[in-house]
Amino acid sequence: MVQTESGGERKPIVQEALVQLIVFRLGTEEYGVRIEQVKEVTITPDIARMPKTPAFVKGIANLRGDIIAIIDLEERFSLRRGKADVSTSLTYTLAIEAHDYTIGIVVREVPQPLSLPVSAIERAPEFLQDSNIQEKYIEGIARFDSRIIIVLDMMKLLTPSEIMQLNPRAESSTARSRT
Amino acid sequence: MRSREQEYREIFMAEALEYYDAMSRHISELEKNPQSEQPLNELFRLMHNLKANARAMGYMDLGEVAHRMETIFGLIRSKEKAFSGSITGVLFGGIDTIGAMIRAIGENQELPNAESLLENLERLVRGEEPILTDEEVAVDDSRKLELSDLVYIQIKKLDHLLNLVGELIIDRDRIFTLGQEIGNPALQSAAAHLFRIADELQYSVMDARLVNVGSLFNKFPRVVRDVATTEHKEVNLSISGQDIQIDRNILQIITDSLLHLVRNAIGHGIETPEERIKAGKPPVGEVALEAAIERDDVLIQVRDDGRGIDVEKVRSKAVSRGLVNAQTAASLSAPAVRALLFEPGFSMAEEVTEISGRGVGLDVVKLAIDSMGGQLRVDSELGKGTTFTLVLPTSIAVKGALLFELEERSYALLLMHIDSVVSLWPEELHVVGGMLLAEVQGENVPVVGLRQLLHSGDEPLASADTEELIGRQDIIIVNYNNRRLGLIVDRFLRQQNIVIKPMTQPLDKIDLFGGVTLLGNGQVCLVLDVPALTRVFLAKRP
Repeated sequence: MVQTESGGERKPIVQEALVQLIVFRLGTEEYGVRIEQVKEVTITPDIARMPKTPAFVKGIANLRGDIIAIIDLEERFSLRRGKADVSTSLTYTLAIEAHDYTIGIVVREVPQPLSLPVSAIERAPEFLQDSNIQEKYIEGIARFDSRIIIVLDMMKLLTPSEIMQLNPRAESSTARSRT
Repeated sequence: MRSREQEYREIFMAEALEYYDAMSRHISELEKNPQSEQPLNELFRLMHNLKANARAMGYMDLGEVAHRMETIFGLIRSKEKAFSGSITGVLFGGIDTIGAMIRAIGENQELPNAESLLENLERLVRGEEPILTDEEVAVDDSRKLELSDLVYIQIKKLDHLLNLVGELIIDRDRIFTLGQEIGNPALQSAAAHLFRIADELQYSVMDARLVNVGSLFNKFPRVVRDVATTEHKEVNLSISGQDIQIDRNILQIITDSLLHLVRNAIGHGIETPEERIKAGKPPVGEVALEAAIERDDVLIQVRDDGRGIDVEKVRSKAVSRGLVNAQTAASLSAPAVRALLFEPGFSMAEEVTEISGRGVGLDVVKLAIDSMGGQLRVDSELGKGTTFTLVLPTSIAVKGALLFELEERSYALLLMHIDSVVSLWPEELHVVGGMLLAEVQGENVPVVGLRQLLHSGDEPLASADTEELIGRQDIIIVNYNNRRLGLIVDRFLRQQNIVIKPMTQPLDKIDLFGGVTLLGNGQVCLVLDVPALTRVFLAKRP
């Protein structure tokens, strides 16, 4: 990162470092995640709904023996415009390595890999602060061949407290003291 | 199953051979470097341990040799003797004799005669020259090298093995189901074979993890003595069922609980000798630690013949602590009142004593037992004594569960927490105070729709209405801490042994689920946690 910031000013002759993204569509826009954060892309496995979780947590699924939580970012960011719920049609799941666990993000269309120069990613403009996707989850905006791709910072988005939107409840206080 | 005697003998043999190897190593080192203290200390320690083990097993001759050898090493250590000259020969010979004796024990043969060695050791102690025969001076070049029949293995490795077997069982079930769906006979027979092999593998791994309850129980005589001394009480501990076997990790989890219960029994249960005599009891209190097998479970009981639990005192204490209101408290039965002892924040000790009042109460014990799907019960008779019973699974890997359907998904409840299952018509359910009640085995049990319980928000449950119930209701009666609760589910499925995988982060924050299991059809099945369900119900009942 540091290299490219200074490199951008000097217009280097050497080929610029590339960043690889996995690009997917949420609502009407394209979003990207750095490829090293993506463990695999698969057809969404059977999801077991889990009571007592926020609505955007679709449930849990068995991914090659690992039990992972599956979340729907369209619902998380209120990007769905009258479309059917994801659980009714064939969808894809990106398994993302977040912190010390894996989490699945469900998307409607096949995610595509995309390589672009690091300099194509700009910092997110201020106005996004007011939008549903809070700025802190956005690493930057990539402009590439007239496409605009919002690059998400999965590590910030997928902290346990973000996912669970945890509010301590009285009934679970005794159980939590177990750990 | 092997007898305890035989198992102890095998352990003794393994340790003795290990000691022998270490002794040979250390004495060679000492010969090269007679001033070095470390090998000398080690030799002294090894002789001491061998002496103790041999005497405990009844091999007195071996114990005697080790004892005399220990004495000499002690003298060398305290610089009263030097490791040189004829002493060296005698000690080398002594270690060879020890090796020969251990081998003889292992082969069930008569122990070699050690008379001349013992005499020589005696002479050395007296400061005389040993008399070595030619045979003893000659270096024994016919020695055999041997390896122990036992291996020590880290529990971590066994844990890993067990996890892998768990995964294998899940895949096996999946292949078995697929085989039946596809209907190919070759696949089916291969799947059936895999089924048997995996089963056997699972039981072998589980078996390798089993240890005798005695390995924990045998630490208690000392604990009891110390606690009794501090509390100025006289206590006799009796132990039984040491050879009952249980998973090592379960034993690990209950170690603190058992320690707590035993301390409680002495601290709060057993009276002082004066009080006991006044009450017409013998001055020495009895504490018993017992293990027994009941069906697939292991029962561990901590029993004392002390003052017992005063139900009325517990009742008023629970009210003053705000655990129940006075009206409810008055209507509770004695077992229900005793169950209050396991509530968080309840401690009966009037004053904090060094032994019993460590700020942890029975609730911590209860949580530890809950965490592995066990149960904790208490029985008591005022003035006669108290019995705590731990009902534990033999193994953590596989648990019996009842599978049922709710909203077209499978869920599981552990059989350990299930009292019974009933199917009732709406007319057989009554609404009392907004709550459904069913009469099950002569007792009124509150009943709640599991769907409502799982989907309710933070607000209390809506008042129940039998009109909303259509047709027969499948109800699972669960039991936790003496509270019975009926859960209405859509449909009972079947009983099955399941391998529980812990809930992964970040979903492990939801305590309603004890984990997940994968069914033969690949479906993920949530395992509901009865203690948490009961707590939610109590917090939200209308």
